[in-house]
Order: sequence, then structure tokens, then C-alpha cells
Amino acid sequence: MFGYVIRRVAAGLSVVLVVMVISFFLFFIGPAKPEYAICGDRNCTPSRLADIRASLSLDKPVSEQFTEYFSGIFTGREIHSGGFVKECDVPCLGWSFIRNEPVTKLIVERLPVTISVALGAMVIFTTLGVTIGALAAIHRGSIWDRALVSSSLILTSFPYYLVALLAAIYLTIQFEVFPRSGYHPLTDNPWEWFKGLLLPWAVLGAVYATAYARYTRAAMVEALSEDFVRTARAKGLSPRRVHFRHALRAGLTSVVTILGLDLAGLLAGTIFTERIFEVQGLGLLALNAFDNGDLPVIMGSVMYASFLLVGLNIVIDIVYSFLDPRVRLG
Amino acid sequence: MADPTLLETGASEPPASPTASAGSPLRSKSPTQIALERLRKDKVAIICAIIVLAFILIAIFANVITAITHTDPGQSNQQLIDDYGFPTVNPSAEHPFGIEPRLGRDLFARWVHGARPSLIVAISASVISTALGTAMGLLAGFLGGRVDRAISWLIDLLLSLPLILVVIAIAPVVQTWFNTNNETVSMVRLWTLVVIFAFFGWTGLGRLIRAEVLSLREREFIQAARAIGVPTRQILFRELLPNLTGQIIIFLSLAIPSYITAEAGLSYLGVGLTEPTPSWGLTINAALNYYETYPIYFWQPALGILVLVLALNLLGDSIRDAFDPKTRR
Repeated sequence: MFGYVIRRVAAGLSVVLVVMVISFFLFFIGPAKPEYAICGDRNCTPSRLADIRASLSLDKPVSEQFTEYFSGIFTGREIHSGGFVKECDVPCLGWSFIRNEPVTKLIVERLPVTISVALGAMVIFTTLGVTIGALAAIHRGSIWDRALVSSSLILTSFPYYLVALLAAIYLTIQFEVFPRSGYHPLTDNPWEWFKGLLLPWAVLGAVYATAYARYTRAAMVEALSEDFVRTARAKGLSPRRVHFRHALRAGLTSVVTILGLDLAGLLAGTIFTERIFEVQGLGLLALNAFDNGDLPVIMGSVMYASFLLVGLNIVIDIVYSFLDPRVRLG
Repeated sequence: MADPTLLETGASEPPASPTASAGSPLRSKSPTQIALERLRKDKVAIICAIIVLAFILIAIFANVITAITHTDPGQSNQQLIDDYGFPTVNPSAEHPFGIEPRLGRDLFARWVHGARPSLIVAISASVISTALGTAMGLLAGFLGGRVDRAISWLIDLLLSLPLILVVIAIAPVVQTWFNTNNETVSMVRLWTLVVIFAFFGWTGLGRLIRAEVLSLREREFIQAARAIGVPTRQILFRELLPNLTGQIIIFLSLAIPSYITAEAGLSYLGVGLTEPTPSWGLTINAALNYYETYPIYFWQPALGILVLVLALNLLGDSIRDAFDPKTRR
């Protein structure tokens, strides 16, 4: 077990490290000329270009630049720009010259927004999806079950952003069924926070719930045909206890794995949701950085996302080994 | 030919119809033939296939269609636009879907031409990623050892990068390699999308094929082929690959709608295709400002994507069912 964890963490770290090296070379060594991108088209004087070059250490050799960037993540570093020295604290992912703020700070500021969207939607789609899926599996073959299977097939075929766009247009602006979406910090005003995120949660939750209903149904149908369920029935347990304590619990282990991956994906940035419902989260941060040519922010977003995905993947594998006693990590 | 699934032919088929048994009662069928037969009986699949075919024909003959209807996707009709940028004419025979606000370009022509980039990106990216996934899966599963570890590590790496972020990160860098003429930028963006989709999309199939190969390679017919000294290349392509056709076709058929969705979505976000290429995603983005006053502007690209993706997905699901010996109809 311990050896397995060590090996997984080492493999994960190697992935993150390579992502870092690739993105570093893509942006700072490649022909992208970051100083022009950062400077923009207007008032780009040679002295300002030279200043940006110096602050990005572009005048130093490649290896030195990389060491500086790499060590900045662990020890923090100082960034010189326009005659000022700016402190970039640990973990320093670079400096956004367009916003004139450290990338880490920008990401940390947006983090609560994306976490709010992701966790709220997760509460909806897990409860809704698992309940519907479990009921469909218990009443397998009934009209409701077949209706669920075929409707979820069609629903999951629709592009998510079109569903979200239609909901945003027709449910808040044309007919005011839902309050206008937007983000208000939870600590400021919990009611406004709840109201502003209600529609994003509902849409994200509904779309994911159909998929989760299908996973849960499949997992539970399989669990219901297993020997331990027959044993539970044979020893006279009530159907409710057999279904929910035995079959559902066993079926949920595979659902938990998918849940972990989806959660990682959502926390990496719900770009479409944030763009459509005007919620200023991590996804919009990356998208705006693209529009402004803010390369350090894009790079920071990529690093954050890959770190998150790799880390959560390892956690899922370890949790899975506890949930499913048949899995032995060797 | 060594093909273990052949044995199931009789079991998965309904009692043979008199016409079939009269001719040659013991004619063997490959799994692909069985699947095609099942597909032909599937009404949903037939309808979806016809819809998809219609879209493909629209994309191929886009020039012919716009020539017949005398519309032009690039020509702007400023005389039909009022001072506020709103079109002054309703949809008519001359402009079947109306005209675009502000520039006054014909929306029907843009819709017809918008089918092109969607299908070009989706089909080329899915063909490349399917080929890549098959090759990587075969190599990892069959060679094992170091090659397997390297490929598995590469899959881990690719899976740790969200697709949209990759496009956001790579598109501006690639763009600076070329000159900044609008048409070139648009073409570069299109092929950048194809390359990114292809390079990041094969991982699912790669894992699947690897797992299949790991179990197939211990089967008797492969052992026998090895024992009589069949060269590796022939084992891979003549013995292993035919057993994987089902998985490969299923992946291909479901990859196409997902890439169409992704292309239109990225174009809507402004990181995919760019003007002047007509693209449904771009039209949706532009139309959002006019959804109240001019809903047809928003709905025609939205319905295009919706119908095409739905038809492709349902067709893909039918193909999956047709190849799965466990489904009963």
C-alpha cells in the first residue's frame, strides 16, 4: 500500500513537472515573443520592451530563466518591472503584467467562485442522479425505467453549452423563472450568493444528473444480481435494507471514481458555465487571459489544472481501495 | 481466419429465416457483417444515418447550393441594413434565413458553409485520433514492458490537461508562427484544432485497445500464430486488428459528434475558428446580442449543431448496440 502510494505520487509529480517544462518552453522560449504579447500593440516603446524583457529575464540564458521560474514556485522570487521591485510569494507562478498582479493571487482570488459552482452542482447531481438511478434499477424494465434510459441518452447527446445558453436566455431574461445569475461572496451575503448561483447549479446539476443516473443504474443492476444480495434476501432482510444498505452501497464504489474525475474537471474551471452565466471564476480568468494575450496567467491556469487533476486522481485511487475491499494495491 | 466471435454467430441471430437457410445454411459471417445486418433493421439508426448524410452532402455541395439560391456567404448587403444595424428585410426566397445584422451577409449561405468547418474538423480529427489510439493501444498491449510504460505515462500526461485550456494555451502561440492575414489565421486555427483534438483525443481508445490486446494476446489463436512463426506485423494486423474492429468503429462514430460539439463550443468562446470562416459557433456568439429582436439568427446555427450532434450520437449508440453481442432486440 505504502509503496504503491509512493510510486503513484512519483509518477504524478513527473507528469506535473513535464507539463511545467512544456508550457515554459512553449511560452518563453518558443517564437511567441512574450514581450510583444504583454506589451500589446499600443505605446510599445523600445525601452518598455527592454524593461519587460529584463523583468521576464529574457536577456538571460534559457537554463537560468528556467531555474529562476522553477525555484520561484518553491521559494518565491522578486520581479523587477518599471524600476519597481515586486514581491512574488510562494508558490510564485509568474507575474501578470497586464493586470500587474502575481498569477498565484489571481488564481486564489477566483478559487472560491469555481469551488462554489462546482460543489453546489455536485450536491445536486449526486443526490438527484443517484436517487433516480437507484429507483430505476430497482424497478428495472418498468415504463419509468425505460423513459429514464432513453431520455438520458438524448439529454446527454445535447451539447452542454447550448442547453446552458437556452436556459440563460429563456429562464432568466425572457421569462424570469430564475433570478439573474452572478457571483456574490458567500461571506458577504449568503442569500445573494445562493440566488446568483441557483441557475448555474440547476443547469450543471441537471445535465450531469442524467449521466449519474445512468452510471448508478448500471452499477446497481449489476450489484443486484450478485451473490451477496441473494444472501441478504435469503436471510430475510427487508427489501429496502437489501436495496439501499447492500446493493446501492456496493454499486456506489464505481460511481465515486467517476465523481472524483468529474469534480477535478469542474474545479479546473467550468469555462462554459462561467462564460454563459457571467460568473467570474477560474475558467473566465483563463479565457480573459487568452483575449488579452496574458501568457503568464494562461500558463498558471494550465499548471494549476494539471496539478489538480493529477492530485485528485491519486486521491481517488487510494479512496477506491478503501471503498472496495476486493481492490488490493500492490 | 482466427476469430473466436464467429462461434457466437448462430446464438446471437434470431431463428434463421427460410430464405437465408434455403441458400447456404452454413455461410459464416464476420462480426462486422452481423453488426451491419442488425443496423439495417434499426429504424432509429437509418433515420439518423439519412440526416447525417444530408448534412455531409450540404457541406460537400455548399458552393452548388449557394450558387443555385444566388446567395453568397461573404458578400455584405449594406443597403438592406438600417442605421442601427438591423436588417430591413424579412426572410424571403432571396434570403431564406434572413440576413446578418450589421454586415448584412446572407445567413442561409453562412449556415450552409458553416457545415463545412464543423465536419472537416470533426472527421479529420476523429480519423487521426482513432488511428493514433489504435496504433498506441496495439503497441502498448502487444510489446508490453518499457513501451507500455512509456505510452501509459503519455496517456496520464495528456489526461492531466483539460482540452479547452490546451486550446487556449496553444492557439495563440501557433498563430504567431504565421502572418496575420485574416484568412490564414482562420485556416491555421482550424488545423490547430484538428491537431489538438487528434493528439489529445486518442487516450480513451488507446487504453481500451491496450486492455483488449492484453487479454487477446494470451488466447490460443495468437499463441498458435506465434508458434508457427507468423511475423509480428502480420499477427498485429491480420490476427489482432480484426478482433478490435467493433471497438474502433464505435469510438470513431462517437468521436465525430464530440469533436463537432467541441469545435462549435470553442468557436463560441472565441478560441476556436475566427472570421471570415463561416462557423456555427461563431454565429451563435454573434447572435446572442440579438436573441430578443432576431431569434432566427441564434436558432439556425443552434439547430444545425443540435440536430447534427443528436443524429450522430444516436447513430453511434445504435452502432455500439449492433456490435455488442449482449444486447437483445
